[in-house]
Amino acid sequence: MKKILFFLLILSAAKALGQNKQVLYDFAELPQTLLLNPGAETNYKFHTGVPLLSGLSMDFGSSGAVLTDVFALDNKNINDKIATVLKALTTRDFLKINTQVEVLNLGFRVDDKTYFSFGFYEEIDAIGYYPKDGITMFYEGNDAYLNKSFSLGQLLYKLDAVGVIHAGISKKVNDNLTLGGRFKVYSSAVNIESANNSGTFTTVRGTDNSYKHYLSNININTKSSGLYIKDPETDTYVIQDAGTIFGNTLLGGNLGIGIDFGVTYHITPQLKFSGSILDFGFINHKKNTLNLKANGSFVSEGIGFEYNPDNPSNYWGQIEGDFKEQVPIDTNKRSYISWRPTKLNAALKYRFKEIRRYNNRNSTFKDFYSDAIGVQLYYVFRPLNPQLALTGFYQKAITKNFQTKVTYTVDDFSNTNIGAGFSAQFGIVNLYGMLDNLLEYSNLSAANSLSLQVGINIIIN
Amino acid sequence: MISPKKISLVLGLFLLISCYESLDFKQLNEFLVKPVFTLALNYFSIVPSQFISSNGTQQISITDVTEIKGLQDVYITNDIVRLEFNAEIKNELDRGVTINVDFLDRISRLTYSFTAITIESNDLDYIYLEAIDIVAYPDILNTSKVRVRLELENTGVPLNPSDTSEFEFKSSVTLFIESSF
Repeated sequence: MKKILFFLLILSAAKALGQNKQVLYDFAELPQTLLLNPGAETNYKFHTGVPLLSGLSMDFGSSGAVLTDVFALDNKNINDKIATVLKALTTRDFLKINTQVEVLNLGFRVDDKTYFSFGFYEEIDAIGYYPKDGITMFYEGNDAYLNKSFSLGQLLYKLDAVGVIHAGISKKVNDNLTLGGRFKVYSSAVNIESANNSGTFTTVRGTDNSYKHYLSNININTKSSGLYIKDPETDTYVIQDAGTIFGNTLLGGNLGIGIDFGVTYHITPQLKFSGSILDFGFINHKKNTLNLKANGSFVSEGIGFEYNPDNPSNYWGQIEGDFKEQVPIDTNKRSYISWRPTKLNAALKYRFKEIRRYNNRNSTFKDFYSDAIGVQLYYVFRPLNPQLALTGFYQKAITKNFQTKVTYTVDDFSNTNIGAGFSAQFGIVNLYGMLDNLLEYSNLSAANSLSLQVGINIIIN
Repeated sequence: MISPKKISLVLGLFLLISCYESLDFKQLNEFLVKPVFTLALNYFSIVPSQFISSNGTQQISITDVTEIKGLQDVYITNDIVRLEFNAEIKNELDRGVTINVDFLDRISRLTYSFTAITIESNDLDYIYLEAIDIVAYPDILNTSKVRVRLELENTGVPLNPSDTSEFEFKSSVTLFIESSF
């Protein structure tokens, strides 16, 4: 029980973005591979996922720190440990989480060359970069940092909770080429994001007074939709209840569209290339939006007394007025567009060892190789900079109905990310499961990154 | 064919051999954020003519007052444990000056007061520090106004209104905050 609680804690403690499913990609012709490449090859007639159980994927990553850095039982003072961690983190470190739950996943063969699939899944997808200067300011204050310019531009985060209705088609153009596309309608339940911020806060020795504070070239933008609602009684914005928020994942008002595109091409009978572009799309947020924009510069040396009894000044009022004039803060409910985190996949796969034949009753048979090796590339557009993962893999069909895959991935979190997965077919029931960062399982507490995908399908050949 | 039983066995074994190092989240109870903020406060520069009223009468003292907001912010107030007021004072005048600094609440009741600070004539490098532990003087956190009164030493010699010598006052406050997680 302790282990389960701990695992749930890891999964719930983080923030997020697009998940690299390197084990699942182009594996065992699973229906879920069509969501990673609509141009993937399939040879079954029909599939349906078990509702809510066909696809559950979770991905957690923390690039700079792990739980043991802070919470290990090592008799060290927690304040010292946190200070050490905060000092070591950089503005390129981030925390991310991605979870995806398939609610509905169906597909059927239209003809020998065409497979149609559709469904609905819910996804929470978030990433937050470490705002080192802001945290330093919060944690230590400005007293020890005279002349240091604290950057406000390090504020960078994005969180999406969306429902995705999708329909896709894969078409075998000829023996070598399969193309596919998927159209998606996004329904955003929550979006919060802040990017492209700038500005600094600096304290220096003053001239008229002991110190002088500068807010320089401030440009802060935050956007949100679906999160806040105005309380008519208090006339203030409050966070909506979770039930209302997640009810909006099904056509809740903030809608968007996107497309996936994929291709599989056999260079030789044993060597094939596949690639895909996923989530090339956007969401138009116009319901329950609340945005904030502040820009300008402000300098203060404190309150300058004038000792003029004939004309007493409202000093504080002057400062407040000057600040509002020089750094206007605009709160508005304007609609805005957020782009989905577009992902690219590309893979080269070489199949070898004995060719087998499925026991097909129609013409949709294909040659079968028991082993395969290859490389995969994953690229996702993120707020700060795109992120890349390179995977080498070995795939092995132990029997006709039991396939396995082992991956080795180099990414932002690790140079030793080993993953493994299986797909097992029992009659018409298909069961699959994948884990990566297997080496981290020797100590989950010290894991920088963990991800898993599991699911149950009904597949009829 | 591999049976579901065998697969379950392999998965079960894997989960059993996965490990985690014991963690103690209760340590968070001991976590304290202790930032120290330094902020500019009041400042002024006075020349002798400012002690002479519009009808030409020399005043012994002059007073100015300002509102201070922020200390009433409950999120900050509850976590301030200590305040340190720093002043840098330069007196070029031909007589001593006594400064009285009073902290007042919204209805102008005294919440804290510095002991009178006297700066002798031509003391150009006077440093004043007053440290206040909140536990001993909690009322200071109800401060809404700061009043600074300047009182001239009575030398019997009238001030020269065209004298350009200055009395300079610069000040800052350092807030020591301790906030638990």
